[in-house]
Amino acid sequence: MKKRTGKAILFFTPFVVCFLVFWVLPFLYGMYMSFRKVSLTKGDRGFVGLENYRALFEQSSMHAQDFFLGLKNTLLFVAVSVPLLIVIALVLALIVDALPARLKSIYRTIFFMSYAISVTAVSSVFLWLFNGNGGYINNLLVQAHFIQKPIPWLEAQPFAWIVLVAATVWWTVGYNMMLFINGLNEIDGALYEAASVDGAGFLKKLWYITLPGIRNVTAYVSLTSVIASFNMYGQANLITRGGPTQSTKTLIMVIQDVILKKNNLGVGNAMALVMGFIVMAFALCQQYLTREKKELKEVSGDDR
Amino acid sequence: MTGKKRLKKIILVLLATGIAYLFLVPLLFMIFTSFKTLSESIASSELLPRLWTVENYLSILSDTVNSPILRWFANTVIVTAAGTAATVVVDCFAAYALARLDLPGKKKILVLIVWVMSIPGIVTLFPAFYLFRQFSLIDTFAPLILPYTANVTGVYLIYNFLVDFPTSLEEAAKVDGAGVFRIFTVIVLPCIRPIILTLAFVTFLGIYNDYLWPSLVVTSNEMKTVTVGIASLVLGANFVNPGLMMAATVFAVVPALLLFMFLNKYIVRGETNVGIK
Repeated sequence: MKKRTGKAILFFTPFVVCFLVFWVLPFLYGMYMSFRKVSLTKGDRGFVGLENYRALFEQSSMHAQDFFLGLKNTLLFVAVSVPLLIVIALVLALIVDALPARLKSIYRTIFFMSYAISVTAVSSVFLWLFNGNGGYINNLLVQAHFIQKPIPWLEAQPFAWIVLVAATVWWTVGYNMMLFINGLNEIDGALYEAASVDGAGFLKKLWYITLPGIRNVTAYVSLTSVIASFNMYGQANLITRGGPTQSTKTLIMVIQDVILKKNNLGVGNAMALVMGFIVMAFALCQQYLTREKKELKEVSGDDR
Repeated sequence: MTGKKRLKKIILVLLATGIAYLFLVPLLFMIFTSFKTLSESIASSELLPRLWTVENYLSILSDTVNSPILRWFANTVIVTAAGTAATVVVDCFAAYALARLDLPGKKKILVLIVWVMSIPGIVTLFPAFYLFRQFSLIDTFAPLILPYTANVTGVYLIYNFLVDFPTSLEEAAKVDGAGVFRIFTVIVLPCIRPIILTLAFVTFLGIYNDYLWPSLVVTSNEMKTVTVGIASLVLGANFVNPGLMMAATVFAVVPALLLFMFLNKYIVRGETNVGIK
């Protein structure tokens, strides 16, 4: 028994070292800096208490305006992108699931493929698909006489958001679809057969068998999608560069600006921690709402 | 009845094909535009080039000052290979200790892991950047590789897989007198290969796709990864020539896509197991 505890600690140590050095240390250091007047160029200039946090919530402060602009934009992106990332993924999964066996893997691969592309490559492609001046989509729409003159996709709202959401959906929806497909595979086929015998149509089966059957997957997919959308950065930074007039500037972009351009590590770290707190609160609420009485297996059933 | 069923199937396949086309358009646009001339690439409403040219590729490859794409490529290979290997090894050992061995404080560690998973990376990102700067490690391989090893999601993924995995083989080996290390490397690791491949692929993609972190810790053009390099081209002067941009993007995208195609059939199963319990 003693020997196995020793081995266990030996096996676990490399991870603990990595985790302490590259996660816990920066986490605590960020917290420490959020209470200090500190910048990249001038270094640490002493303890300021809650000053940095107050700057985030005082209406007249420049930092508060930046922070709430970023928060508003990010929440808007979460609210628009997350439902699409769930519904489209589920529809794709249902389509793939109903396809003849030979075609399944081909279509599944096509829908999942774009997930393997980096955000900078996605941005580079969407930038030119949707360029206002000479972009493919505008050329196509003008050619087909859908529109008279080019749409300023990247320079006006709501077009800029449409492009960012489209790029995000194209890039990541395939991953959610994979999770849904695996969830669908685990539903007992006999349920559908019984329902068919009783004369249930597609919608009835979807509502009473499919959706309850994939409840856990849906909860997981919505949780990860909310977290991912909160963290949106690359697309907005490269495709719209936060514009037009900062309307697509996300929280992470605001934090980056405060730290690098406004040279204020203290306020930047305070912002990051508040953002972390908001995302965690979201995640915990969602877990609480969807879990009901079901205990987390890994926490309960492991007393071997 | 069968006629109606067949019609339904045909409509479904047509629908799937239409959507698949929409999904492929950005990729086709990227590939075909990279073979277009400048004048055609900014005026065309067709995907296929009328006049095929490799000029874009040649100028990307020859401009080794602005776009040392082969150098970026080599950096990416080094960073993703080292980062993925280190992460997978560290995570597998940790997950085995959690799932099978008598690790003290197991339950608390698992609760902590689940908490940490929901904290966004931005919370540690800039402090880590500041610390690497204090140790003058900016623009080296260290910050590009090491931080990825603090990967709680990976430990959780392997742990969940091991918990559901039968222990009979391990018990048998124990009876035969095999040590913990031997059981782990000779019996367990080969048995859980699919989930290890899944973790390796997900970790690889995470490192390969990472943009904000490497763009902070890299300052010289020679140390950039492909992903950061492409971003600097997008934000830089080459913006005016879509053909050139798409040629550079093809360099960045194709290797990962090929790897994806190759691993696709292995990773299909394992991924659901993360957290959906």
